[in-house]
Amino acid sequence: MKDIIILLFRSKRFIVGFVLFLGVLSFALIGPVVNPKNPFQMVGGLFSPPSDKFILGTDNLGRDVFTQLMYGTRTSLLIGCTAGVIATSIGVTIGSIAGYKGGIVEEILMGITNVFITIPSIVILILLSIAIKTRSAIVMGLVIGITAWPWTARAVRAQTSSLKTREHIDIARITGFSSLEMIIWEILPYMFSYIFMAFILQFSGGILNEATLSMLGLGPFQTVSLGVMLHWALLWEAVRTGAWWAFIPPVICLSMTTFSLMSMNSGMDEVFNPRLRRS
Amino acid sequence: MKNPFARYLLQKLVWYILAFFVAVSLNFILPRLIPGNPVAVIVNQMATGGVQSDTLERLYSTYMKEFGLDKPLYVQYFNYLRNILHLNLGTSFMLYPGKVKDLIGRALPWTIGLQVPAILSGWILGNLLGAFSAYKGGKFDSVAFTLSLVFSNIPYYCLAIVFLYLLAVRFGIFPVGGGYSFGTVPTLSWRFITDAIHHYILPYLSMVLVAIGGQAIGMREMSIYELTSDYVNYAKNLGIRDERIIRYVFKNAMLPQITGLAISFGTMMGGALVTESVFSYPGVGSLLFTAIRQSDYPLIQGCTLIITVAVLTANFLVEIAYGFIDPRIRAVQLGER
Amino acid sequence: MGNLLTAVNLRAYYRTVQGEEIKAVDDVSIEVREGEVLGIAGESGCGKSTLASVLAFTVIPPLYVVSGEVRANGTNILALDRETLRREIKGKYISIVPQGAMNSLNPTLRIRNFVVDVLKEHFPEISKEEALQRARERFEALSLPPRILDAYPHQLSGGMKQRTVTVISTLLNPKVLIADEPTSALDVSSQKIVIKLLVELLRRQIIKSVVFITHELPLLRHFADRIAIMYAGKIVEVGPMEDIIFNPLHPYSKLLMSSVLVPEKGIKSKKIEAIPGVPPNLKNPPPGCRFHPRCPSYIEGVCNTAVPPLIEIKPNHKISCFLYGGKDGES
Repeated sequence: MKDIIILLFRSKRFIVGFVLFLGVLSFALIGPVVNPKNPFQMVGGLFSPPSDKFILGTDNLGRDVFTQLMYGTRTSLLIGCTAGVIATSIGVTIGSIAGYKGGIVEEILMGITNVFITIPSIVILILLSIAIKTRSAIVMGLVIGITAWPWTARAVRAQTSSLKTREHIDIARITGFSSLEMIIWEILPYMFSYIFMAFILQFSGGILNEATLSMLGLGPFQTVSLGVMLHWALLWEAVRTGAWWAFIPPVICLSMTTFSLMSMNSGMDEVFNPRLRRS
Repeated sequence: MKNPFARYLLQKLVWYILAFFVAVSLNFILPRLIPGNPVAVIVNQMATGGVQSDTLERLYSTYMKEFGLDKPLYVQYFNYLRNILHLNLGTSFMLYPGKVKDLIGRALPWTIGLQVPAILSGWILGNLLGAFSAYKGGKFDSVAFTLSLVFSNIPYYCLAIVFLYLLAVRFGIFPVGGGYSFGTVPTLSWRFITDAIHHYILPYLSMVLVAIGGQAIGMREMSIYELTSDYVNYAKNLGIRDERIIRYVFKNAMLPQITGLAISFGTMMGGALVTESVFSYPGVGSLLFTAIRQSDYPLIQGCTLIITVAVLTANFLVEIAYGFIDPRIRAVQLGER
Repeated sequence: MGNLLTAVNLRAYYRTVQGEEIKAVDDVSIEVREGEVLGIAGESGCGKSTLASVLAFTVIPPLYVVSGEVRANGTNILALDRETLRREIKGKYISIVPQGAMNSLNPTLRIRNFVVDVLKEHFPEISKEEALQRARERFEALSLPPRILDAYPHQLSGGMKQRTVTVISTLLNPKVLIADEPTSALDVSSQKIVIKLLVELLRRQIIKSVVFITHELPLLRHFADRIAIMYAGKIVEVGPMEDIIFNPLHPYSKLLMSSVLVPEKGIKSKKIEAIPGVPPNLKNPPPGCRFHPRCPSYIEGVCNTAVPPLIEIKPNHKISCFLYGGKDGES
């Protein structure tokens, strides 16, 4: 385990991603603690540019953009993380069962998975979002999570299928472990790096999906997120008015977050998939 | 069915029809999970806008009849299916009495005209870049890879917003949105076409750059993987020159990329829709944006349905093409394994 | 009858990401003589496949040739530039039937197209039809059905693929053919056919010598002229087939032979012995003779202090063991 961590920190890509992500994370977590203002409070003029009083100016309703950015990043990360955890859990469960059991169980589970891969997830997300009554951050994370699992399921199934053929599986099976025990103790530990990478992917995807939904107007109620900030900017013509402080900062935060996560993922890929290493 | 390829075709067709049914059913059920009577809600909303009360009455009863909300659920379902097969997607709430079908019909060509070329050209250019990058290695590879990594992980609409702000608002090189200049009427004149192209470039660029980045990364990875395979080593051992080996690798690495193309249509859809909204481009994206704001459920449902159909169709076509190209797939169908 | 290939003090190591060296081939000197079948045998991980890679010039990172030479006609082939190697040597002078030949064929290319590529690469002046014709003739001459040429690799059975790869590897009439575990993944009847093919190739003088790498010693009994036993990256004994199989001298060779089951007369009376211990770690091999921790004839103070040199104790029979000499530099 320690060697893995050492190796990871040799990968430039991983370090870049990791450092950037830590930056974003601290901004989102520490920021609101240090600066406990209310992002919804109207404190200044409408669309006033950055000044000494407000580092990032105000939005169309006179609210402090900088505060919004902090809370918004936090919300986005929260939703992304929730979605990531849920999607990964569902995906790993379905994928490992399908891969291990094989036969008709695999056919059915993979059939369902494939249907949900083919149907564009944005459609399901839109439909689900308009149907639910309360859209809190957690609920959004849940909704995104339950539409994003198919990819992980498919990948995990493929891995499980190939791991299944290794010798230690046969030995364990002879000693009488049940299927569930087999999956948990004999297969999943070998896929740990894989599952972790899948989680990072889902985390990043979750953040993006939240932003997409929010920008379309289906974001969380009464909460500010990066996507919601962009939605407001769109709605109130911030771009055309040239009020760059209302949308460039969230764009930067969003891009940095997804970029850092994917960079970490790319670095991990290099380390865990030696064939991709170019020496 | 004697012809094995026809068998493959039929198999895929059945599959896609099944997926379509699931999508349509979801399209039907999910909005109906909204607690309360959506029609009453909408009608109430309109009431605050100062609409006449007898108009409201008529609206209410029309909608109740159209939705068939007084009938049991399974009857509603069959009505819905029947309507769809007759291409009747209902009436819009906010643009009453505009038919959903017409609204979408007007918006769809813009969306297709923007997305299909963007996805296709992004795919082709991205694959070329990825393969070349894998082959070249060294400095070129590092630079290209980092750039691709950056671009592919920025959401399209972020890039779109940046472009719109910098190139249109700040520096005025490009128009600030719309599919064509405000006030002009779409005709087939040269003037209109150039105007439309001028409006096309920024949205197109936002999508293409990101698509190229994503494809390049995937293709590069596949190429590197293939470059280290046994058959490449063997060919080298027999003295075959690099150029020919590159051709082998490219062909083999391309195959999974075709599947990737099919999938792109689905995954890029969300971002593409928002990009359209950012530019107020008169496609399905902007339509959806306004529909959601106005809680225009029939329109929302119509849009989601059309989007699903479009994606499924694109997927289907690509799968057929893939079956043609990869001999291994044909073999599975021919039952040779 | 000269030497077609001579390896001199060859060292080839794998370098890991952490900077460690795995000494897969450690100071190996061996020659391949014209007209012979040289068998290289040993346990898994003894370095024989790495040796094959080096002899066939398929050395890719993380494998590096650290020192030594491979001579043919007086020139050190290892020192030649890439382009000369590609044009003159690979496939033409030395050719390899790689391990896992099943995967060596491009899955999306018909056999005939690949064959044409190979032939046209080295004979650019011939036409596609001529190339196909030559291929067909060769396949027929070696009793392979010509329908193989029209097939894709996945349409062929394992044994068929192995034979196809063997024929393709010899299309250019190389002097030396290196066969790396050509029969490992096959059933017994397919194994026989593959070996028959190799014998036929030699008989027709399409190839001039074979280096047969395997961990299955019984195969070499009927096929090899000389056998070299490898252990932990070094050659411990090399000599005529009958000597090595029926009268091995090195302690490792002896244990190896007695651990093998061969359905022959008198086998019932023999005892099977497993070799105690495990093969050594090639990152940090044991000092001195690599085999000494497992050797029943180990001499304290001698075997663990210096590496026994490979000395010729009989004509055509070399051994690396202090029991037979080599102490204090005697030869």
